[in-house]
Amino acid sequence: MYEDAGIVGWADAPGEALTPREARLERAASALRWGALANGGLIAVLLLLAFLGGVRAVPGLFSALHSALLGAAALADDAALATVIVLTLLNTSLLLVLMVGVLARELWALVGLWLLAAANAAALLLAGFTPGVVTAGAAAWAGAVAARDARAFRLNPVMVRELRGRMRGARAFVVLTVYLGLMSGFTVLLYLFYTATQITGSAASGAVGRVLFVGLVGIELLLIIFIAPAFTAGAIAGERERQTYDLLRTTLLASPSFVIGKLESALGYILLLLFSAIPLQSIAFLFGGVNTAEIVLAFVILTATAITLGTVGIYFSAITPRALTASLRAYAAALAITFGVPLLASLPLFNAFVGAAGGYGSGISGSPVVEAAFIYAGLFLVSLNPIATALITQQLLIDRQVVGFWTVTLSSDGSTIPLVSPWISFTVACLAISTALVVLAVRRMRRPAREAR
Amino acid sequence: MSAIIETKDLVKRYGKFAAVNGLSLAVPEGSIYGFVGPNGAGKTTTMRVLTTLTRPTSGMAWIAGHSVTDQPRAVRRAIGYMPDEFGVYDDMRVWEYLDFFAACYDIPENERRPLINDLLELVDLSHRREDLVDKLSRGMKQRLSLARTLAHDPQVLILDEPASGLDPRARVEIRELLLELAKMGKTIFFSSHILADVAEICTHIGIIEAGQMVMQGSIDEMRAQLTPHREIVITVRSAEIAETVQSLLAGAPDVIGVEVLEPRSGRWRVRVDFTGDDDGVAALNQRLTAAAVPILGFTEETKDLESMFMRVTKGAVT
Repeated sequence: MYEDAGIVGWADAPGEALTPREARLERAASALRWGALANGGLIAVLLLLAFLGGVRAVPGLFSALHSALLGAAALADDAALATVIVLTLLNTSLLLVLMVGVLARELWALVGLWLLAAANAAALLLAGFTPGVVTAGAAAWAGAVAARDARAFRLNPVMVRELRGRMRGARAFVVLTVYLGLMSGFTVLLYLFYTATQITGSAASGAVGRVLFVGLVGIELLLIIFIAPAFTAGAIAGERERQTYDLLRTTLLASPSFVIGKLESALGYILLLLFSAIPLQSIAFLFGGVNTAEIVLAFVILTATAITLGTVGIYFSAITPRALTASLRAYAAALAITFGVPLLASLPLFNAFVGAAGGYGSGISGSPVVEAAFIYAGLFLVSLNPIATALITQQLLIDRQVVGFWTVTLSSDGSTIPLVSPWISFTVACLAISTALVVLAVRRMRRPAREAR
Repeated sequence: MSAIIETKDLVKRYGKFAAVNGLSLAVPEGSIYGFVGPNGAGKTTTMRVLTTLTRPTSGMAWIAGHSVTDQPRAVRRAIGYMPDEFGVYDDMRVWEYLDFFAACYDIPENERRPLINDLLELVDLSHRREDLVDKLSRGMKQRLSLARTLAHDPQVLILDEPASGLDPRARVEIRELLLELAKMGKTIFFSSHILADVAEICTHIGIIEAGQMVMQGSIDEMRAQLTPHREIVITVRSAEIAETVQSLLAGAPDVIGVEVLEPRSGRWRVRVDFTGDDDGVAALNQRLTAAAVPILGFTEETKDLESMFMRVTKGAVT
């Protein structure tokens, strides 16, 4: 039946004949899928090995893995393994994203394939990142196939249409102006409040800068939580209600293109809002206390959040017949992700990680293995939540100047374990979740709608 | 002529209700096929199956040799579909509307611009190129919709009630457009309950009721089938001549009855009920000519589709 027809390819019926070009691109996509699967398998093996090495079951395992997987990098053995795992996770996510991109025939996928292949080749040559061979190979092969059919790659028609409509006339600019006006007003208020509460008036200007920056990023995060699902929740359900959905389904526009186009148009507008607020964030520079890394990382986290919540909206739009219901469900999911997860802060594993990040210990003593497990689980949980990710990333950045990797000394036995800053794991998780939701939405769209009369 | 659209025992059930119940139809290539039936007869459901939007419960359907269930993309490539509702995107210009759908059919950007110009010219909307779609009149929207279905140059057009809700002028324009498209070699399959439209432009007709095909065929076959006797009206100048005609033809073969009608604007008319074929009609004419009867007109009245329709449909609308 329909549900079983490929993963997210073009064929709407099993065994349907594709044009030669479609068949070639589908092969490229399937190479990427296999590359992602191979990377996924590798991660499972690496995690197992990391566990074995961590409990010191196999002596010398970490250093052997270091020289085998990341030979040319001057890192501690355990940090090297952590790096390999994170890079492999990133490769898996990117391969899946590019797979969807190739199926939707996005121009960025064509470019992305070669960038990914080149980045992995460079990592292999410069740092001895041997697992990169899989990704570089899959991406280069798919890139070569796609380059042959480069003409098939184009600007997404759905995105072009939506952005044309959205940016037409004065409305878009009025919205942008009002938005920036409100943001500026908020900044001024924040400044006045903060300086007023400092009794002597001698507030350190660095602190003022930080308050302004954190306040603005917080507001933007809230904005994304409310805008991103709303923009996309109406995507499919809205077309159904406007009776344009059937028109589209009788064209050759494939479901992946439709979903990606809707996502791109929503993200395009959100990115415009984020970019236009960067000068405002940079006011914090005047007061000091904020560096460029913070602004860049904040932008990455905000973008990753927007992508994920946008796909949450798309997913509910695909499974819900009415736009309003889809919006409500998408909001419920967005709120659960952003505000529900921190409620888990009462759980010990969350505390263990937050404590470790804060430098006052995980509060778990006894077995170092249990303690390490708690800390990693805590990192995983934090990586699912934009607010926790943003706060802890900033804390690490300010307290320890950590952008990427850092280590925690276990209170159990004084040994150290390597960790990544949450923004990295958050971004990887966002890419993976988004791709999964896009695939699910596409599969759901393909199923013929339950028709009512 | 081979069938370009074909269905076999097509059934579509919604729960217990069968919207289409064992429908078999064949639309010859190059024809203009009027799909006629009362509201709720299953016309739209049939079209949704043919356009791959709905899966049939059972039965098969093919378009240009491709099965609608197994080869939906090939079918979509072959058809242009116009549903009865005009899907509007607000905030879209006329040319953008066509550009978007052309892009959805994978037409490269550099080919789209000339294509849009041609399409707009064909449907006579070139002057509204930059206007917003939702500002167009209903007739214009319908023409734009038709232009949209042509973007990928399909062999078959499937049009659901293309003339419904249009004023008489717009209806005539659509009709002209359909004839024009038929001349371009497209097969046009359209539904209607406005029988006058169907009769005037169709080459073939299928009548559906309660999900089943009541009868189908070329319009001439249908006429012959539905009207067992023909009506010939002979116009003459005076009552005497009318009586002469009556006596001359009363005894002719295949003539059931001859009746002198009320005179209209000074002319007398004789109606002949006749069951013979075309040769017989010619023979009647020759009989009058041989007797040197001065006649002004000799015409066969065409029975309109409305009466045919009323005769075959029993009014069993679901």
